[in-house]
Amino acid sequence: MKIIAFVNNKGGVGKTTCSKIMAEYLSKVKKMSVLGIDFDPQCNFSHQYLQMEIDPVAPEGLIPPIHPDYNPEDLEEMDWEGRSSIAEIFYGQGVVPYPTYIENLDLAPGHAERLLAAESVRKTEVVEKVHKQLANFLNSEDVRAAYDAVIIDTAPSKGPLTISVMKAATDIVIPSVMEEQPVQGIYGMLQLWMQESLIREKSRPLNLVGILPNMFKQTRLHKDLLNSLQGNPAINRYILPVKLNQRIVYAEVDSEEANPRSIFDFPDDHIAKKEALEAYQHIAERIYS
Amino acid sequence: MTKKKRFGVSTALTRGLSETIHVVENNSGTFRNVVLPLSRIELDPDNPRKLALNLTDVRIGLNKQDPLYNQKLGELERLKELMATIQSSGVINPIVVYKRGELYRVVAGERRCLASILASKHEIDARVFNEKPRGFELKLVQWIENTAREDLTLDERIENVRDLLREYQQQNNPTEVTASLLRELTGLSLPQATYYVVVLNAPADLKAAISKSEIRSLDKAAILAGIEREDLRQQAIEACIKGSSLKELRQMISQQRDLSKKQKQISLQDKQTRSLSRRVNMGSTGQVAVVKEIVDAILGQARYQKYVPIFSAIDWAHVKHSALAFRQLVDILERELVGQI
Repeated sequence: MKIIAFVNNKGGVGKTTCSKIMAEYLSKVKKMSVLGIDFDPQCNFSHQYLQMEIDPVAPEGLIPPIHPDYNPEDLEEMDWEGRSSIAEIFYGQGVVPYPTYIENLDLAPGHAERLLAAESVRKTEVVEKVHKQLANFLNSEDVRAAYDAVIIDTAPSKGPLTISVMKAATDIVIPSVMEEQPVQGIYGMLQLWMQESLIREKSRPLNLVGILPNMFKQTRLHKDLLNSLQGNPAINRYILPVKLNQRIVYAEVDSEEANPRSIFDFPDDHIAKKEALEAYQHIAERIYS
Repeated sequence: MTKKKRFGVSTALTRGLSETIHVVENNSGTFRNVVLPLSRIELDPDNPRKLALNLTDVRIGLNKQDPLYNQKLGELERLKELMATIQSSGVINPIVVYKRGELYRVVAGERRCLASILASKHEIDARVFNEKPRGFELKLVQWIENTAREDLTLDERIENVRDLLREYQQQNNPTEVTASLLRELTGLSLPQATYYVVVLNAPADLKAAISKSEIRSLDKAAILAGIEREDLRQQAIEACIKGSSLKELRQMISQQRDLSKKQKQISLQDKQTRSLSRRVNMGSTGQVAVVKEIVDAILGQARYQKYVPIFSAIDWAHVKHSALAFRQLVDILERELVGQI
């Protein structure tokens, strides 16, 4: 089971969009059984597939909706309030993934307040506990039996949540806009990749799939920065030879009323679909070859 | 005409990105450097360096009832100098360990561990292998560590090499142990590797003297191992124990060689009269490199490695020396092969 994470500690580089396209590529195009995980307290990835609700206790945060399988009458579910998020792993509770409108795609949504609580933990021994929880969950037999691939959208941080993703992942992709600050974010992620790689067994390396130029515009700034990175042989090995251009259609499919809702439901000759297929076919080849 | 503005990633960031990539590409999955609590350390009982002192001895103190008390007391005294430097400056080189359950087993750095505990330290810098090193890699690290040690006995060094070669042969297909192979594995010089191979195959009487630490020099042991006649070898071993120098031992061998040469000449003269037409002219050359090439090729074979010390003093740039060496080689070949024909 491949655990593929999209990481960059700079916000606004398109981690959620890239995670979403990856999840849909594997589930819709490759017909794989996929679990999406939203590890970002902003819960944007969850919002793509579920009607997230405002937490009455913490109005600024989002919480998952009542699970469709929840039955308040069931005595066995007396201890369950009917909502489940990936943050349950930090509280010793089970995670109940939600089905989505895509047949092969389930989602373990985020929970703003609970993920923020885990992210803010600082004491060394607790950080250790946070770090290992996602890997423990994803290594469980239930999860491995149910899914072929796990796609994780991450928070724009280098904190405990992202570190726990690094510990659990088999493959990471770093989406980046070709601008100064997001490129600095690449450095932050390479540092985490290095820290994790140096303590892993040789038999399970953390594969850096590559840096995905995202929201690319045919401007001098974007072209020059990409050329600059490609000009260094070591960095160039990790610059993916595919990219996602800046297109309004990627934002349009995020809308609740959008039709179609997935880039892969567009006609085959749609420019964005062709671009996404080319990019994700390449990424999948790097991961599965 | 205005010049178009160009953008680029800063030199510092480019350097940071490429250096990070190189670190991962060159080091992932091998080891990491950490600070380890000394309470999580355990020693390797199979490390060929036979230190009697153990963790309990330094943590709790020596037990006078211990049959090894005197030996341990001596080892403890010798550790005190290291303990003093650790107290003042800490451990300069990290120890090497691998995780074994809840504990970390020491691959290299037992003395530093013991001395750190004596110095009342609670932690030690360590290089942690992410996985248990395979037998050969483990022995190789211990070999590298131990070669830097001056207080190892010859027996311990030979044991080290023996373990290293055994693990290598277990991991790879069993191959003939030659000096070239040992040189390749350890980085030793060819003469040093040759000495080790010769001593590894030493006769029992010499091995006994080495294990009793009566013979401590590898060079001398290699020369003694080359003496075939048991009575002469025993004399040489005794002379060595009494303090004969390398030069004196070489003279003894030389005498033995002259003696056997004379015997051989007699038998060859006898043969010459009987089968003169069957002798082969080995040809001649003014190129000493050709002679050295032939000699090296022969001595590279396992069965002739015991003769390598005899050729160690040859000046190959000198035609006369090279000619003598070649003649000596032919003598050896005749001596070794005639019996089998």
